Amino acid sequence: MSDATSLALKFSLSPEATGRLYDALLTITALNLSRTAYASFALDAKSFFLDYNLNASSTAKGGDRFTCQILNKALQSVFKGRTNDGRGREPAIERCDVIIQEQPDMTECRLIVKMICKHGMTKTYRLTYESVEVMHALFDHTSAPQGWRISSRVLREYIEFFGPKTEQLDLVAEDGKVIFTSFTEEMKNGKEVLKQPLETVITLHTEDFEDFHMQDQTHIVISVKDFRAIVTHAYTLGGLLTASFSRSSRPLQFSYQNYGIHCEFTLMTTGDLRGALSSQAPKFISTRGSSRQPSTLSQPPSRPSASEMPPPPPARMNFNKPLSSQSQRPSLRAQVHQPSFENSDPDPHSLFVPERNPWDPPNFDGNDEDEEMLGWDAANERANDFQPTFRDSGPTAPPSQQRQQEMQSSQASGLEPSQWLSQQRPLFD
Amino acid sequence: MRFRAEIRNIHTFTKFTSSLATLGHIAWLRLDSTDCRFTVIPERGTQVWSVLTPDTIFDSYTIQSAAPNNAINLEVPLQPLQRALRSAGGGVGASLRLTKKDGVPLLSLTITTTTIAASSSNPTNITEGSRDDFANGQGSAPATSSLREGSTDAGFFGGSRERETLVTQDIPIRVLAPASVEDLHEPRCREPDVHIVLPNLLQLKSISDRFTKLALTSGNRNTSGGGVGGRFGFQGGSSTAGPKLELSANMHGCLRLALETESMKISSLWTGLENPELDPEQVPEGEEGLANHPSTRMKALGDSTGQGEEGWATVRVEGRDWGRVLSVGRLGGRVIACFCQGHAVILYVFLSGEEGGGGESVLTYYISSYSA
Repeated sequence: MSDATSLALKFSLSPEATGRLYDALLTITALNLSRTAYASFALDAKSFFLDYNLNASSTAKGGDRFTCQILNKALQSVFKGRTNDGRGREPAIERCDVIIQEQPDMTECRLIVKMICKHGMTKTYRLTYESVEVMHALFDHTSAPQGWRISSRVLREYIEFFGPKTEQLDLVAEDGKVIFTSFTEEMKNGKEVLKQPLETVITLHTEDFEDFHMQDQTHIVISVKDFRAIVTHAYTLGGLLTASFSRSSRPLQFSYQNYGIHCEFTLMTTGDLRGALSSQAPKFISTRGSSRQPSTLSQPPSRPSASEMPPPPPARMNFNKPLSSQSQRPSLRAQVHQPSFENSDPDPHSLFVPERNPWDPPNFDGNDEDEEMLGWDAANERANDFQPTFRDSGPTAPPSQQRQQEMQSSQASGLEPSQWLSQQRPLFD
Repeated sequence: MRFRAEIRNIHTFTKFTSSLATLGHIAWLRLDSTDCRFTVIPERGTQVWSVLTPDTIFDSYTIQSAAPNNAINLEVPLQPLQRALRSAGGGVGASLRLTKKDGVPLLSLTITTTTIAASSSNPTNITEGSRDDFANGQGSAPATSSLREGSTDAGFFGGSRERETLVTQDIPIRVLAPASVEDLHEPRCREPDVHIVLPNLLQLKSISDRFTKLALTSGNRNTSGGGVGGRFGFQGGSSTAGPKLELSANMHGCLRLALETESMKISSLWTGLENPELDPEQVPEGEEGLANHPSTRMKALGDSTGQGEEGWATVRVEGRDWGRVLSVGRLGGRVIACFCQGHAVILYVFLSGEEGGGGESVLTYYISSYSA
């Protein structure tokens, strides 16, 4: 470090990328009024930037990453009006250079943005940042076997229908269709009822989706505003929007990517469990071929019927290693559910996974409401990963509960289903 | 109690609702076998009573009620209705029906739209490769580009089908008992002194709005150094407090719009407008009544140049309220104004021809005159 300041990070952006960065910043603002959303925009070092250079040796803590916290408003005002469409009053930019100077001993930690404009003008902004460990929300794809994928253009068309004042969005699959309902919970009486915002119901055919797999009659409820912000942003990037979820009261993730931006939004869902709690075998509405069926289909306490052979897990889930990662975190809450209606003894000779094992340890917590907390990953150990912020977040449990865990919370593991029984035998024989 | 109808002309219905929504938040909707009546009675300002024949806006109009003449009385919030109708503009069809959801009565607007499925709906073509490829927009690696071509072909042959998507907009309403609307009657007014066909409402509105704006700005200047009361008067936004415009017409085709403040006096004059002949059958006491009709006496006064001070019937209207009334111009109907000197002006907006769907539909605006 010959200089007084060290260059921790340096990158350059094309005018288009600068505009896209601004769109992302705006989306963050529109999101999360309910503070239950987590958004992450990962910018690909190779394709998003003209030039990207992380100086690992000069970061204060060493290591191969740099994390900081910066005011969104400050960043927005720097990137505002930088799109090259010629409409803005600001001169069009040719390039945007960003340098982060880090010096642990001095207060001169700066994020410097240089806008190199046309006609030889350069505008320099110096922003302060706070060097902090960034917390990342964990979203476990293996526990979210349901989901869909659709053109952002199609959804963009339909979010227009939602009234501006509605608060919640209910999502339910039914009879080959998926139904989006925007509604406002507060019910007013008398004359006030006329002030109730419009309730909008949109019924889309599952054929309009690239991929669709959702349990029949399961309600998932998120915020309309979050959904609108996400769809609007996804549309600016084009391409497909993917939703992954399991059931209500568990996180849902929207993701899409284009132009080297990988966007992931993790939202907490609410909703009633009527569908999920029905004692019948869950029915799925799916456009997936049978080979794409995830191995575990539904959420507790309803289980697939014994006659239903769980298909092998989809190939793309095989990289997950839930068994190893589960032990990495202490249990936040024992996720054990004691069934009250399940009495039938599973056939010990059956090749099929039993519906519910009567010898499961009881839930001493007495907490039947299986609302789950969103996990946080401060370590962010896989920083060099393509999508560094998300790690397997299988809910942790003592080893004796692991098998049951897998069955109960749809931890679609990389294991073949035949192993489930073999795993069961030593435990209970 | 049942009501169900296809919407025949969504744009007319939307414009109609928008016009009503400028005057009030809630409309009283009375549906029966022969008419659809929309009435807006704001706390202050202009009332509008409109009668539409069902086929003006509806097709396959079905109504069933225990009340006489199959009448159903509803209270409908206009902004949600307007919003719902506007969102139906891009659809291929829409229908409206009275329904209940969790005990709450609703007008449910069902919009049929089409989604053009741009890509393949065959799930076997969706592979990991094509997924990334869709997301990246431009596949760079040869492996993914071949997959992409595959899925494009599938989209060309198997996809691109139009599918109907249903969107339902539920408008909360209140069902009114017949007794609760018994006492609501259209305002009664004496026979008018002058009746005249108004000029193009867009032009009349833009001039009226300009006058109102001038009055507001000159008013603000006057009150800026003055008392608090004056300032409250202009900023309160209530329709009694705003600037008044003087509207006059004679029986010789002249209409005059004037504004008088402390600092200025401006007016616009239209000439050559039509004073429609009264139908003797519509006038009380027939021919005799027509001979003694106030408008017959007004005919003897004034002239077609509109320069004299004789023969005018004049009312004073609140500028902003008048501007809101004139927004009905978007419906493009023929408008007849009936002036009762110093008392009120009544506007009849006739929807006919293509916009009106053939039936005789009329909106009646009751605009009270303010004293000088």
